Amino acid sequence: MSDWRRIDIDAFDPESGRLTAQDLIPPYTTVVTLADLQPKISQLRSLSSSGDVNSAINLATTDPPYSADENTKAEYFRAVLDTLKQVRQADITNIVKSLDSKQHDVLIKFLYKGMSIPEGQKQGGILLTWFEKLTQIAGVTPVVHYLSDRNTV
Amino acid sequence: MSFQTTDKSVLAAFKLVKAPIYSHCFSNDRSLLAITCETDCLIYRMNGANANPKLVATLSNHDKTITAVDISIHGRIVTCSQDRNAYVWEPLSDGTYKPTLVLLRINRAATCVTWAPNGYKFAVGSSARIIAVCYYEQENNWWVSKHIKKPIKSTINCLSWHANGVLLASGGTDGYVRVFSGFIKGLDTKEAVAGSVWGTKFPFGSLVNERYHGAYVHDVKWRSNIEKIAYVAHDGTLNIFDSQNDLQSVNAPDGLPFKALVWINDHEIICAGYSCHPVLFAEAAQGWKFAKNLDKVADSNQAQISTHTTGTSVEDEDENPTFGMSALKKFKELDLKGKVSANVKESAHENAISELASFAESSGQVTQVSSSGLDGKIVIYTI
Repeated sequence: MSDWRRIDIDAFDPESGRLTAQDLIPPYTTVVTLADLQPKISQLRSLSSSGDVNSAINLATTDPPYSADENTKAEYFRAVLDTLKQVRQADITNIVKSLDSKQHDVLIKFLYKGMSIPEGQKQGGILLTWFEKLTQIAGVTPVVHYLSDRNTV
Repeated sequence: MSFQTTDKSVLAAFKLVKAPIYSHCFSNDRSLLAITCETDCLIYRMNGANANPKLVATLSNHDKTITAVDISIHGRIVTCSQDRNAYVWEPLSDGTYKPTLVLLRINRAATCVTWAPNGYKFAVGSSARIIAVCYYEQENNWWVSKHIKKPIKSTINCLSWHANGVLLASGGTDGYVRVFSGFIKGLDTKEAVAGSVWGTKFPFGSLVNERYHGAYVHDVKWRSNIEKIAYVAHDGTLNIFDSQNDLQSVNAPDGLPFKALVWINDHEIICAGYSCHPVLFAEAAQGWKFAKNLDKVADSNQAQISTHTTGTSVEDEDENPTFGMSALKKFKELDLKGKVSANVKESAHENAISELASFAESSGQVTQVSSSGLDGKIVIYTI
């Protein structure tokens, strides 16, 4: 017992009440499944392939699948990332300006998510450009919201 | 020493200690000021807005950082600390205080404490996921506590009593704002809560209302006469809700989170936190909105950035030198002229504001608020 400081005392206390990952998930009333979301994903893809990126970003940042499982979220995110890639750098500012503050909060979640996974890191430059334009327009508010929000994309 | 500031909303600023002040409280007649300073609670006598408060007593029974202090309407002081204890300090006629230990029975730090309006009981929040409602037991000559445990999932950050002394609002790091009943038999009467819009029966510890916010809840305050609760959270929002769970939410203008709030009247609230200055919000026909900043430093950098963003859409990064240039300028000034910078004006608080309280009221309207900060200052603002 030389390293007694490392003993996890909470493990011996059934009433320690340590938070689990499950405790941190917000209380969702309904859960979105991949099947529910499929129409939205195809709509998103068709909008972005037809070049209507403005509507595509608008759709992507409206009512994201917070309650879905990780696979569904990943599927949705791939469609969003493809849309983000489509946008020409010169158009980003105007698109971000056309979104409301709730959509800014969602958009920044996608940017952070992208930067945290290999698929997104390959597009790091694009994501950082989006991030730059977004923070120029909306300030630090979306960042602060992202850091403290347990609804993840 | 008191500080000269150019903003006229700052009535007085006192640099009292070199450590953070996590909590402060004025006595009912505003003649005494209690602040937390590391493991001590310091008591000052006020000498008006221009003279420095005079240290009259040091309460030093705690052996870990004191997290909160409150003074009852009878002048009893309660302190709670990370050492898991709370003390009630009874003022004696010679100006000293007699401490009584409170049996909190918690195994984590106590984080916040607040007296009930009648001054006969108080509630302590803790990291042990427990709210301890404490009251004096004559036969044992002790302050004993009853626990509210369920369904709290994490540390309690803030507590607020309704004016009826029964309903207790709490907020914490599990992202919930909850209203519990703190009804103590023998102290409270059922008449106090008769006809309450929040329910019909209030046995001790029952969950009266619950709302999920998500982010850490830093402060919560009742507005009893209109049955509303306001709270601020770590996502930088001020939120107001009522018994119908009709919620209104408004963002901080700077984006930085608030640590504290105080109701000014039924339609105005002052918040303050990490942006180091108070912000006034007001309720208009379209709902709650940002009204004005108090003692906000007009930062030249900010002005440049905002003009920059409203400008043309595509810009090269090299053409955006605001941040780097100001740092360069600062060091040049320091190097060539030996001064920090001529145009730097500081707000009264130089660090985050930890707590707000009403300082002066007239006809139901708060006219002055006091604040304590991590910079060791107490500031009084006029609204």
